[in-house]
Amino acid sequence: MENRNNENLRELFEKFFDAEQAESCVEDIQKAERIFREHPAPEPDDMLIANIKAEIAMRLQAARAHRFKRIIYEIVGAAAVILFVASVSLQLFEKDVPGPGEAVYASLIPTAIWESDDIAADDEDLAVYTAQIEQIEDEVLTLQSDQDTGNGDSTIVELEMELIEINSDFWKG
Amino acid sequence: MTESNDLARVITGCQRDEAKCFAQIVDLYASRCYGYFYRLTGNNDISDELLSELFVKLVEKIGSYKGGSFESWLFKIASNIFHDHLRSKQRRKKLLETQKTELESETTEPKQSDGGLTDKLQIQLARLDEETRELIMLRFYSQLSFKEIAQMRAEPIGTTLAKTHRALKKLRELMEG
Repeated sequence: MENRNNENLRELFEKFFDAEQAESCVEDIQKAERIFREHPAPEPDDMLIANIKAEIAMRLQAARAHRFKRIIYEIVGAAAVILFVASVSLQLFEKDVPGPGEAVYASLIPTAIWESDDIAADDEDLAVYTAQIEQIEDEVLTLQSDQDTGNGDSTIVELEMELIEINSDFWKG
Repeated sequence: MTESNDLARVITGCQRDEAKCFAQIVDLYASRCYGYFYRLTGNNDISDELLSELFVKLVEKIGSYKGGSFESWLFKIASNIFHDHLRSKQRRKKLLETQKTELESETTEPKQSDGGLTDKLQIQLARLDEETRELIMLRFYSQLSFKEIAQMRAEPIGTTLAKTHRALKKLRELMEG
């Protein structure tokens, strides 16, 4: 109450009232100030102040704990999302982008061999098919060299016939 | 270090959730804020409640303090708390209007139940209307300048000066009468 505002009351009132009125206003305010000084309000109880401080400390602690929990939940949530996305991505990646070798074998080896339990017979068949494929490869190479020289028409017809035959035998198993 | 620098440092501490800085703010302002509430309500118990509520609100809102007059900011919260109290009292009054209760005379007629602390000033203040009483309390307990009070009340400074002068003159007449 003693440390009043630093404003110049007289100057302030003179902006709105004439000098005499301003003087009277300032006097009224100063007298009222004296009344307040002579009649101080009661002070808050020490116990009340202690309780307020304790309440503040408790609230700050609760707020801190709440913030910590929220951070933990956010971290756990983010980690869960990352793990989920990573696992789904891996699965999709493995499913959608097979190795080039796998795709070739899948198209060449008939279902009958995959489903068969007779390993010895299947090995024999595979050996035959592999030999035939190698033979075709050789013939393709020969054909290419014939084409280069310009006389491969009849060889192509023969080769096509042979391929059709092999293919038909192959899918019969 | 100046007083305002000290206060700024304490406020920064509060914004970092340091309990001891809040305790310093309580020590600095409890007396003035209590006087403000007491002179408005004339009741110790209600003033206790409002003061506690004020400092709890301070903890919640300190992050929104962006500089400027801290007193002005603090007493704006105090003023809002007092108005919330008045509104809730009005609601209670409506519910209990048929009964003659203490609630009706809470602020307008100071009680002797406050351990005989009710003084002449409190009795005369009770004769003023709520707006006038609050204006005087802001002037004498917040230590705000008229300019700051006018800003807080969102009215021209001339209006604040005229109202305050009228109110204080009336209070002086009542006290001298």
